[in-house]
Amino acid sequence: MTEPAFFILTALLDAPRHGYGIVSDVAELSRGRVQLKIGSLYGVLDRLVLDGLVELDREEAWQGRLRRYYRLTERGRHALATEAERLAANARIASARLGERRSPIAGTTSS
Amino acid sequence: MNRLEERYRLLLRLLPADYRREWEDDMVAAFLESMDTGDAETAAYAADYGRPRLSEVASVIALAARLRLGGTNAPPRSYAWGQAVRLAALTATLVHAVMATAGVAITAWLAGRMAWLPAPAPEWALIPPGSLWRTAWGLADYAWLPAYVALVLGHRRIAQALALLAILPPAVTNAVQQATGEVPPSASPWMMLLLDVVLVLAMSAFHHDAEPVPRRRWLGALPIGILLVPVPLFAIQATSQALRLLDWPGLSCALVSVAIVIHLAGRQSHRPSGALPWSLALTLLAAAALALRTATLPDHSHQAQHSALLTIGAVQATLVLAVGAPLAVLAIRALRRLPPAADDL
Repeated sequence: MTEPAFFILTALLDAPRHGYGIVSDVAELSRGRVQLKIGSLYGVLDRLVLDGLVELDREEAWQGRLRRYYRLTERGRHALATEAERLAANARIASARLGERRSPIAGTTSS
Repeated sequence: MNRLEERYRLLLRLLPADYRREWEDDMVAAFLESMDTGDAETAAYAADYGRPRLSEVASVIALAARLRLGGTNAPPRSYAWGQAVRLAALTATLVHAVMATAGVAITAWLAGRMAWLPAPAPEWALIPPGSLWRTAWGLADYAWLPAYVALVLGHRRIAQALALLAILPPAVTNAVQQATGEVPPSASPWMMLLLDVVLVLAMSAFHHDAEPVPRRRWLGALPIGILLVPVPLFAIQATSQALRLLDWPGLSCALVSVAIVIHLAGRQSHRPSGALPWSLALTLLAAAALALRTATLPDHSHQAQHSALLTIGAVQATLVLAVGAPLAVLAIRALRRLPPAADDL
């Protein structure tokens, strides 16, 4: 799963969101690191819809336009949980190895 | 509809029509919201004079490349075009890499670093580079080799960066030399630059959805290419005058023509679906070689043997056209037989 796809699914966890809502939430969740452009957002979103991880929730009128809201499907929630677990397991391995190599003298490493 | 929306919708026309039917209005709504700063005066100004930022334009171009030059799960026509552009880009980068690698070996030989080979004739002696620009020119070209390896190994962005490294120093050198009158104005370097820039852009077809490049086959093509093209060419040029009239556009025409003849001869033994991407790729390469040859022909008019060079150039262009046109017709017919979208299957 790519990083933008991971953050888009995470953004949809708590509530359905529209296109720009997803862009804003992804920027906030990633602390500004992942700044999705509109072309990039829809390039990921169309595949998530095609794979059944995200679906259309509703359409709402806003300033004379229709806003489409998207929600996470059960399959999307499961895919996100699996990916989060995989990343957490990787992080645990790295942290444990870093801990082992840390010298008793703070700030220095063994070997 | 304000001007900003018009401009964004115009940009979205790069995307295929069926994709636009599904996503365009939603993309426009999201884009206009992203441009809204909350200040009425700024919003009114942006509505009239605003344009999509370069990063937005790039994201739409990347999406269009992914959709139009499709990967494994794309509709058949989009997949055929995607494969064709990827094959053409790989082949063109391979030719650059082959010539650059052979260039390293030939430079080492001319510099006397290959004592086990016969010494080069005095007229082939290396002229030491007179300036930083000339050194940059010589070294930059070698970047095609790692660019090709990166492309085959699936590192598309690294390949594009390395290719730009190979292209830009010669372009700057040319601009300086032509501006200062050191060399006469000529179209050849600019046409080659244009085609190389198109090649760098074409590398965008190696996106996430594209199949991985068969590594063994394409990496193996590098030594085979060196043995088949630059080594015999250099050996003939070093021993006789016969091929000294063959320039880079001429060599491109000759290589593409030979490849097309081999492809057409072996076409009957391939499945039609397997032959189509190569037919399209060779058509694209033939169009590029023809454009290069045609645009660079007038440059020969300043040279000493201009009538012979012009005749040879015209023959090369005719040869590419003679083999490329029938191939293009066959490829387009085969393409039309494919359904445009997966829904039509």
